[in-house]
Amino acid sequence: MLTLFRNLFSPPRHMILLVAAAWVGLTLAEKRAERYGISKDELNNITFYGLLAFIIGGRLSFVLQNISTFLKSPSGIISINPDIFDPIGATAVALIFMLVYGQRRNLSLWHTLDALTPFFAILFIGIGLSHLAAGTSFGKETTLPWGIDLWNATRHPTQIYETLASLLIFGLLWFQKQNPRPGILFLTFAALTAASHLFITAFRGDSAFICNSLNQNQVIAWIILAASFLALEFRFKQTKNAG
Amino acid sequence: MTQSQRITLYILVLIAGAAWIFLNAAPAGAPAVVNTSAPQAGFTAPDFTLKTPQGETYTLSELKGNAVLVNLWATWCPPCRAEMPAIQKMYDEYKDQGFVVLAVNSTVQDSAIEIPTFIAEYSLNFPILLDELGDVTRMYQVRSLPSSYFINRLGIITEVVIGGPMSEALLRTRIEEALK
Repeated sequence: MLTLFRNLFSPPRHMILLVAAAWVGLTLAEKRAERYGISKDELNNITFYGLLAFIIGGRLSFVLQNISTFLKSPSGIISINPDIFDPIGATAVALIFMLVYGQRRNLSLWHTLDALTPFFAILFIGIGLSHLAAGTSFGKETTLPWGIDLWNATRHPTQIYETLASLLIFGLLWFQKQNPRPGILFLTFAALTAASHLFITAFRGDSAFICNSLNQNQVIAWIILAASFLALEFRFKQTKNAG
Repeated sequence: MTQSQRITLYILVLIAGAAWIFLNAAPAGAPAVVNTSAPQAGFTAPDFTLKTPQGETYTLSELKGNAVLVNLWATWCPPCRAEMPAIQKMYDEYKDQGFVVLAVNSTVQDSAIEIPTFIAEYSLNFPILLDELGDVTRMYQVRSLPSSYFINRLGIITEVVIGGPMSEALLRTRIEEALK
């Protein structure tokens, strides 16, 4: 089953999973958009322009980081290689662009983020599945019975842990009956996602370390978790005062 | 939930998170790279020995100290053909800095007769190796052609590029990273 899945979506076809996740996520987000005071069109526009900014920003960020290389081969800037891409730069550019777009269209930041939460949640499920297909974000070696054979060893199926955690987070947020105060849904999603990454990353076998021993991704997840808690509390206070 | 209950919960979760990070900290002196060999970034590149059409033998592990591009290709594969001129250009430019190309023809799924014409057509002067039994194709778990593996001077795969054609700019960034 796993081999069939990995053969079917082996790179570069693993990108199909991301595109499918983005499509499903956006469809689900559209269904609930009006609950947060955002029209379907506005949600579609902000997502479309955000994705466009993500693609262009990722390429530009990569080019700027390797500017001497691209000065020697300028045609490479518009080449079709998807590997000429910086995901961190892409995310930063997309977020800035979406923020500016939202402000210009007078969209409430927190309402927009809440409306986009199902999109983000499904995207994380897609990321987990694409990691599984590509064999990236692989786990440490294990003797546990649910270990998977990957890269010449039996390993923790961290990509499956990641997918299940994202699925659980999506379920928790999607099926909750209460309509929380603006921003709480998104910040809860951010906190839960950061917490799940903080936990699961410990089983990953491809981690980079900082300060000689601390897992870099865990430290980043902890910082995001702390920031989410701070923002949550800030939102609780703000909405209480406003109410 | 009251504010004080929430803050207590945040603090407890953050303490537990920090404890989890320290519990999983790598022991001092732990190797920075995975010692197992596998066709994936971060692993030691799986070793192989193959011959050129002229009968010259190349062993990957004997090239330690050089940055190596292992490029798996076939004559019938259009992106493989398209990226060959760029690979040749980069080989000419970086070979003096210790850059080696091992262009492994997946002969098991290709016609060996076509190879000399292919080499002449693109004026290739880096080693072309024949994977007649498909051992390297299987060892590198190749599912798409071309598949390229950039290996640093320590024999660790720094980057895997599946599909193509690779542009000069992409080759340059990956080669320079492998040469570091």
